[in-house]
Amino acid sequence: MVDDEVVKEWFVQEILPLEPSLTRFIRRHCRKAADVADIRQDVYVRIYAAAREQLPRRAGPFMFTTARNHLINCAKRAQIVSIQYVADLEASSSAVDTVTPDRTLSAQDEFRRVRAGLERLPPRCREVVLLRKIEGLSTREAAMRLHVGIDTIEQQMVHGMRALVDFMLGGSGRIRRPGKSERSLKKERNK
Amino acid sequence: MSNSASVEEVAARWLLRGEEASWSSEDQIEFDKWLNSSMEHKIAFWRLEHGWRRADRLAALKPLSHAPGPRRPWLTSAAAVPLAACLILCVLIVLRVDFARHKTYVTEIGAREIVPLADGTQIELNSGTTLRAAVKGQVREVWLDEGEVYFEVVHDPARPFVVHVGSRTLTDLGTEFSVRRNDAHLEVVVVSGRVQLDNEPIASSSVPVTLVRGDIATVEGASTLVVPSSVDRIDDLLSWRHGLLVFDQSTLADAASEFNRYSRKKLLITDSTIARMRISGRFESSNLDGFIRLLHLAYGLNASDEGAVIKISE
Repeated sequence: MVDDEVVKEWFVQEILPLEPSLTRFIRRHCRKAADVADIRQDVYVRIYAAAREQLPRRAGPFMFTTARNHLINCAKRAQIVSIQYVADLEASSSAVDTVTPDRTLSAQDEFRRVRAGLERLPPRCREVVLLRKIEGLSTREAAMRLHVGIDTIEQQMVHGMRALVDFMLGGSGRIRRPGKSERSLKKERNK
Repeated sequence: MSNSASVEEVAARWLLRGEEASWSSEDQIEFDKWLNSSMEHKIAFWRLEHGWRRADRLAALKPLSHAPGPRRPWLTSAAAVPLAACLILCVLIVLRVDFARHKTYVTEIGAREIVPLADGTQIELNSGTTLRAAVKGQVREVWLDEGEVYFEVVHDPARPFVVHVGSRTLTDLGTEFSVRRNDAHLEVVVVSGRVQLDNEPIASSSVPVTLVRGDIATVEGASTLVVPSSVDRIDDLLSWRHGLLVFDQSTLADAASEFNRYSRKKLLITDSTIARMRISGRFESSNLDGFIRLLHLAYGLNASDEGAVIKISE
C-alpha cells in the first residue's frame, strides 16, 4: 500500500494538470454532456485505487488507458452501443492528443486565469468569492456585510468555488448543479 | 458511484468550513470520517482543495480591495466630474471613428471563438461567422450576418437582448440559445429559458412565436417550424461548441457539407447514390482526414485530392 499523502501528492501534481485532456477525451466518446463530470470522477476513483497499490510510472498514458477501459465497459453495459463506437475507442489509444499539462503556468498566467474564471461567475457569486479570497471574511462576516442569511452565503460560496475550480482546471467555469445528470437518475431508478 | 456534482457540493462545504476559525476538533473527526468513507469523497475534496488554493492568487487584487462587484459606488465624488468629461470626450472620439456603432466579430473557417460582451453576455462563434454587435447603454442588439453563434444572455428585463437574422428577430426572455444562419435558412436551438421569434418589420398579421427550452425552430422564408426535441438531439446540435460533429443517420451529402463549413478544402460528392448513403458517428470537425479514412475503411469509398476539392467516389 502506498501512503495516502504520497498518493495525494502524486494525484495533484501528475493527474489533475491533465484534466483538460481527460475531459476532452471523455467528451469525445460520451453522448451526453451532462455525464462527462460523472465519468471523469469514476475514472479518477479508478486511478486512485490503482495508485494506492502502486504509483504508475507514467501518469498520462496510465490515465488515458484507465479512461478508455472505463468507457468501453460503460458502453458494453449500456448494450445499445454501435460496434463502430467501440472500434473508435479501441483505436483511440494511439490517437490520444498530445498531453500538455499546464503545470508550467507562470504566476502571471495563473493570476490571469483566476481573473478570467472570476469574470465568468454571476455577479453575486463573484462578490462572495472576492470577500472570502481578498478580505478573508468568514461566512458569518460575509453574511453580515451583505445583509443576507448564512445559508445563502454558503450556497453562493459553494457555487463560486466549484465553478472557479472547474475553470482553474481547464473547464468551462460554469455552475453545475447536482442532480441534473440523466445517468445518475437512471442509476437511482435501477437500484 | 453517485452523481459527482452532489459529492462535489458536500466537499465544497467541508472545504469552506475547514477555513473558518470556528473549526473544532469534533468537526475534524466528523470530516475525517466523511473523507475516508469513500474514494470518491477523497478525490472530489483533493481536486477542489487544489483548485481553490490556486485561486488564492486573487489576494493580489488586495490594493483595490473594493474592486469589482455591483456594490461599487460609481463616480460619486466631485473629483469624478473631470474624469467623466474626459470619458465623454473619448466616447465622442470613438463614435466618430466607429460611427456605425457596431463592433464586428469575424471567425475564420475552422476557427471558434468565445467573446464576452460588455453587458456580461457571452457569445461563442462557430467557424465562418460574422456578427455585428451594438451593446452600449440601453441598447443590446446584434446582427448575425452569417454562420452560427451560441448565446448565454445575462437577462435584463429593462434592456432586452435582440438578435437580428435577416428579416427575423429573436428577443431573449432570459436564456441560452444558439442561432445558425445559412443564407435565408435559419435555425434556433433553445437550451434554457425562452426566446421570442418575430418577423421584421413586425407585420400586424404575424404572431410572434415563443420558443422554450428544448425547442428547435427552423425558419425557411415565410414559414417557421418548431419542434420540441430531446436532450440528446440538442446536445448533438451544439456539439460544435466542443469541436465535434455528430451525425445520426445523416446523408453523406449533409455530413460533407457540415465538414465543409470547417475546412477550406471542400469535400465533393458527385455520385448521387453515394450522396444518399446514411452515416452515424462523432467526429472532430478539424479532422477531415480521419473522416475520409473512415469512409474508405467502412464503405470502401475513395478520395482524390484535387487541390481545392477532395472528390469522393466509389
